[in-house]
Amino acid sequence: MTRKILIVDDDLDIRELLAELLESRGFDVATAGNGLEAIELLKSMTAPPSIILLDLMMPIMDGYAFLEERKKDDVLASIPVAIITAGHCVDRSQLGGAGTIVNKPIDPQKLVRAIDSLQASAQSS
Amino acid sequence: MSSVDHEDADIDSSLDAAGEAPDSAQATTLYAERPFQLLVESVKDYAIFMLDRSGRIATWNAGAQLIKGYSPEEAMGKHLSIFYTPEDLERKKPEHLLAAALRDGRVEDEGFRVRKDGSRFWADVVITALRDAGGQLQGFVKVTRDLTARKKAEEALQQSEESLRATLYGIGDAVLATDEKGRVTRINPVAERLTGWSEAEAFGHHVSEVFSIMNEETRQTAQNPVDRVLAEGIVVGLANHTALTARDGTVRPIADSGAPILDALGTPRGAVLVFRDVTEERRAQEERLRLTQAQEAIRLRDEFLSIASHELKTPLTALQLQLQLLREAASPGDQALAKKLERALRIGVRLSTLIEDLLDVSRIATGRLKLRYEAFDLEEAVREVLDRLRESAHQARCELHSTVSGPIPGRWDRLRIEQVVTNLLSNSIKYGAGYPITVTARREGDSAVLEVRDRGPGIPETELSRIFERFERASPTRHYGGLGLGLYVAREIVQAHAGVIQAVNAAEGGACLTVRLPLVPR
Repeated sequence: MTRKILIVDDDLDIRELLAELLESRGFDVATAGNGLEAIELLKSMTAPPSIILLDLMMPIMDGYAFLEERKKDDVLASIPVAIITAGHCVDRSQLGGAGTIVNKPIDPQKLVRAIDSLQASAQSS
Repeated sequence: MSSVDHEDADIDSSLDAAGEAPDSAQATTLYAERPFQLLVESVKDYAIFMLDRSGRIATWNAGAQLIKGYSPEEAMGKHLSIFYTPEDLERKKPEHLLAAALRDGRVEDEGFRVRKDGSRFWADVVITALRDAGGQLQGFVKVTRDLTARKKAEEALQQSEESLRATLYGIGDAVLATDEKGRVTRINPVAERLTGWSEAEAFGHHVSEVFSIMNEETRQTAQNPVDRVLAEGIVVGLANHTALTARDGTVRPIADSGAPILDALGTPRGAVLVFRDVTEERRAQEERLRLTQAQEAIRLRDEFLSIASHELKTPLTALQLQLQLLREAASPGDQALAKKLERALRIGVRLSTLIEDLLDVSRIATGRLKLRYEAFDLEEAVREVLDRLRESAHQARCELHSTVSGPIPGRWDRLRIEQVVTNLLSNSIKYGAGYPITVTARREGDSAVLEVRDRGPGIPETELSRIFERFERASPTRHYGGLGLGLYVAREIVQAHAGVIQAVNAAEGGACLTVRLPLVPR
């Protein structure tokens, strides 16, 4: 199981800070600024990340659209996703299989716990 | 049977066996010699026959056969009582009628008569006493007319009149009818009420006196639709902004329309005006408009809040992450720096809570507080909140104690429940500063019970009932900070879970806030 994580969020500060945080915890981090960038980045990767942290409200292609889009690719569709969002009213019907939600402001411990549990369940499946 | 005289015998014999009127050859002869005989025999619309002095039938015409159904053979010699109903016979009507004819010369009657087949018909009857030149009674002449058709028509007309009248008077709109000169002939109760004129009072007056209208905006007298209807014979549609002034001066906005009353040939015989009070309609329309506007305003506000929420929390998230990283980066020996960063992180948490509360209040107000249930251990969640607030409590010199009696698994909205615990604790830390705080969580049957107790001064009795209201501060004179929303939001969340929250002052001093939640949603 790789320790590679993809962070998708339109805020630069959050991308950088989350990356720093997770790198200090031993993860390899890649970042994208919106859903479209994320798709392109994922396709160019030799090995897919083990987790995607996905913000919902982004320009060009938002979180919901990204989830729709990745269904078209089996490999992408199999990567576990944790939603990180500031909005409290998440439309769960559009999340597909992404059931884990971490609310902003982000509690680092909660985040790491969510990542660990996602990886664990991905490994066992 | 009395003797028949020569005249009668002649009349008798001129009717053939079937009682038919004479054929053309006979008729020509009869016309030349006995024109009246031909006349009587030929008439089919009236039964014209003679009775002898005792009331027995002596002659019979075609009309009698048609109306009463008897042939001449059947009718001749019979008493006229065969034509009467049993009720009339009981009352001796035939005798009375004959007596009246004798006395007055003639008698007229309207009533039921009976045909040969037993069926009844409504008849108009005239019985005339026949006297000779010397005044001697010779017999009677009876002329009977079948009024069934006419009676049916009369009844039908009456029924139709009745039902029209009922309709007119029953409908909810005001109806006013005029003659061809525009004078009021009828007004229904609704029109009476709106104009202030009763039908009796209004009758005959020109419609413009009774139906006094003006343009609502210019207040100028408006043209009466009846004028146009009568002049042009057309239907005049609804006019806007018309107001009717009643006799007592009340002005009401109305909608009206007028149409001509035409007879069978299409000639205008009058006009009919239909109108109604639109005050209520207008009010309803305005209400609907206000409602739509209010809904739009709410929608805009919600949209704004959603965006504001996202925009405020994004830099806040970044800020907290940065502080977190700084604290981790600080060398273990540098206590001073660590403390400063800790403080900064706590401030971030406070800011976050304030923003959440503010946004929550708005969500609650518009009914948007949605819960997201998940299974978790309440004991664990409480422990996490305690850990997070431990430093704040320490700063306020409140010792935090907790008594947890084991895992409390259940289904709630984790984020929201943590918010409740946070808000209750923050409240106790604020108002019970310097005193210990105890948090307990336990199971009781199918409920989870959470208690936050402080040893501070307690809540003033007068405030106890209002402490969970919006913007309430137990002590308005001293500034305790915060928006005064924490307990309000806590209550809303608890109630949304179908739970209860309560505040009491403990006997040993201090306040005790208790939350009782069902373990699983019902």
